[in-house]
Amino acid sequence: MSDLELTVAAKDTDRPKLTLGHRLWSAVLPVALAVLLLGFAAVNRGVLSPANLLNIAQQTSYLALFAMAQTVVILTRGFDLALGPTVSMVSVGSALAMAGATASGHGAGAVLLAGLGAGFALGIACGLFNGVVVALLGVNPFVATLGSYNIAIGIATTLSAGRPVQGVPAPFSQIFYSGSTFGVPAAIVITVAVGIALHLLLARTVFGRSLYLIGTNPRAAAVAGMPVKRILVATYVLCSGLAALGAIMMTARTGSGEPNLGGALSLQAIAGAVVGGTSLAGGRGGVGTAVLGALFITILSNGMNLTRIDGYVQMVVLGAIVIMGVLLDRLRQERRQ
Amino acid sequence: MNTALVATAPRGLVSLRSIAGRIGLLPALLVVLVAGMSAVDAQFYGIINVLNILRNASLLAIVACGQALVIIAGGFDLSVGAVVALASVVTAKTMAATAAAFPGSNVLIIASGVAAGLGCGVAVGLVNGFCVAKLKVSGFVVTLGTMSATAGVGLMITNGIPVYGMPEVFVKGFGRAQAFGLPTAAHVALIVILVMVFAQRRTLFGRYVYAIGGNVDAAVVSGVTIQRHIVGTYVVSSVLAALTGILLTAQVGSGQASFGGDRMMLQSIAAAVIGGVSLRGGVGRIEIVAISALFLTILGNALNLLHVDSRLQPVFLGVIMVAAVALDELSRGSKSRV
Repeated sequence: MSDLELTVAAKDTDRPKLTLGHRLWSAVLPVALAVLLLGFAAVNRGVLSPANLLNIAQQTSYLALFAMAQTVVILTRGFDLALGPTVSMVSVGSALAMAGATASGHGAGAVLLAGLGAGFALGIACGLFNGVVVALLGVNPFVATLGSYNIAIGIATTLSAGRPVQGVPAPFSQIFYSGSTFGVPAAIVITVAVGIALHLLLARTVFGRSLYLIGTNPRAAAVAGMPVKRILVATYVLCSGLAALGAIMMTARTGSGEPNLGGALSLQAIAGAVVGGTSLAGGRGGVGTAVLGALFITILSNGMNLTRIDGYVQMVVLGAIVIMGVLLDRLRQERRQ
Repeated sequence: MNTALVATAPRGLVSLRSIAGRIGLLPALLVVLVAGMSAVDAQFYGIINVLNILRNASLLAIVACGQALVIIAGGFDLSVGAVVALASVVTAKTMAATAAAFPGSNVLIIASGVAAGLGCGVAVGLVNGFCVAKLKVSGFVVTLGTMSATAGVGLMITNGIPVYGMPEVFVKGFGRAQAFGLPTAAHVALIVILVMVFAQRRTLFGRYVYAIGGNVDAAVVSGVTIQRHIVGTYVVSSVLAALTGILLTAQVGSGQASFGGDRMMLQSIAAAVIGGVSLRGGVGRIEIVAISALFLTILGNALNLLHVDSRLQPVFLGVIMVAAVALDELSRGSKSRV
């Protein structure tokens, strides 16, 4: 039994060489992206203006970061419904910490450290909770993260009393939002850096590769002697840590700690990952799929905004796109087999 | 697994222990909660509060029953909250339109409205079922997509504005009425639960749903027509959500696109899961899910009466949900080890 599973897993890891047809298939989404952009540009030339392209890139960088976070857990057949509330909680927590540090007369550096420390501590705590409940208690990821979804919402709204938390210092916004490196806005710089680091982690390290194996075949991973539980806990911590970073970037953008910041982010991030080609069955996807999916959704909503498509119609289109994206991916899979 | 085994075991051999095993911890918790609250606060068992609880629990129970069926077959239905909203606005719009065309003919007005509302449920359910069963897209993604689309359609129809113009009879004589001391919604919920329990235990559909959720391959080999039954679970789930939307519309007196929503969807899944439905499929009983819906409603009500900050209340729900499922997993783990 386990021997069989091992051979199946091995087969999956040394993939057959890609033929031209396969390459064409994997180009479907980028081509669709280009068509989409040109189509919107035909209606409104402003879509392709440098200002709007930069705008798209900046908007994408947030969703891409969250989609990457989600991808990491989806690789192991999990997902994180609590991502949105985690973002809210981190936003409120870091803003409160910075406001408190400022009030007690600390310098700018200490205030920043307090904000980052509080934000990442909350994010990592949330990830630990998810990871422990999923990996050690064996609770289904859906239920586990639905539980922490509620808990994080409760904490975020209680800490903030339901109101935006003021007192985010200017240097914080400067570093994580309004600043730029060689003219590239901070959000893009951070997301690109994180994306490269995460790609190296997933593609080149034992930890990264083990995520794929756990997702492809958890029993084979266990039989092969991997510390599956520990890896799973680390995965959820990594996911929530990335979410915390995104939350800090968004807090810098709004300039206050918002208890509703996360809103529909959990599902948006899952949609981004999945549209890009990450498989909910685990074991397939990466930084590229997350970025592609996030780019697709952002361009779609940006284009629909600029071509004045009704916001409610946009919801319908987005829903249809999510289903079609996954359907397309399934067809691609079938061709591969 | 446990329940499925017990259910197929010959009847009449039910020992006291297996009764405890079948019913589980939930009813005991419910009794403790009710007794405790009654002791603490006399308002709790006041007739107004009891009716309030019954109304809310009935609505949640109806949605949760459908959700449970889908989960037992191994799926997920994230779209139920959006279907509640869509059915609500479509019902109200249809009634208003029919009332304008045929003023006074209440039977026609109500029948057309209810039919249109339930029709929405059938339509969304068919789309969900088709995508999952025929196109083989994961249920999570499909219903995530239809959730967004359905909510969008509901908002498009109304622009987010409540829809009025339903006949008085529908609101006063049905939605807010009571029969035998119980609100209408409770009667409807009882009927739904009884029918669903019967379907689960005594019909081929019910048994096949367990078979599919328990082991798809085994079900295929045994000659179960998988696709049709999976479509069936999604249609039942959506129709029940639509029914809830109609009841809610009758109760409030207007059709609103803000009904249901993510909250209803997440609560229905919570009710199913706390009620012992396994997300792995193949396990779960409707009557326990209904009790679980009652439990969740009473819990929320109790937290309100105890003046627990409404912002803090989700924390309790989250902890209880995780604890309930973790306990279930742990007890199953210890059983399988023996």
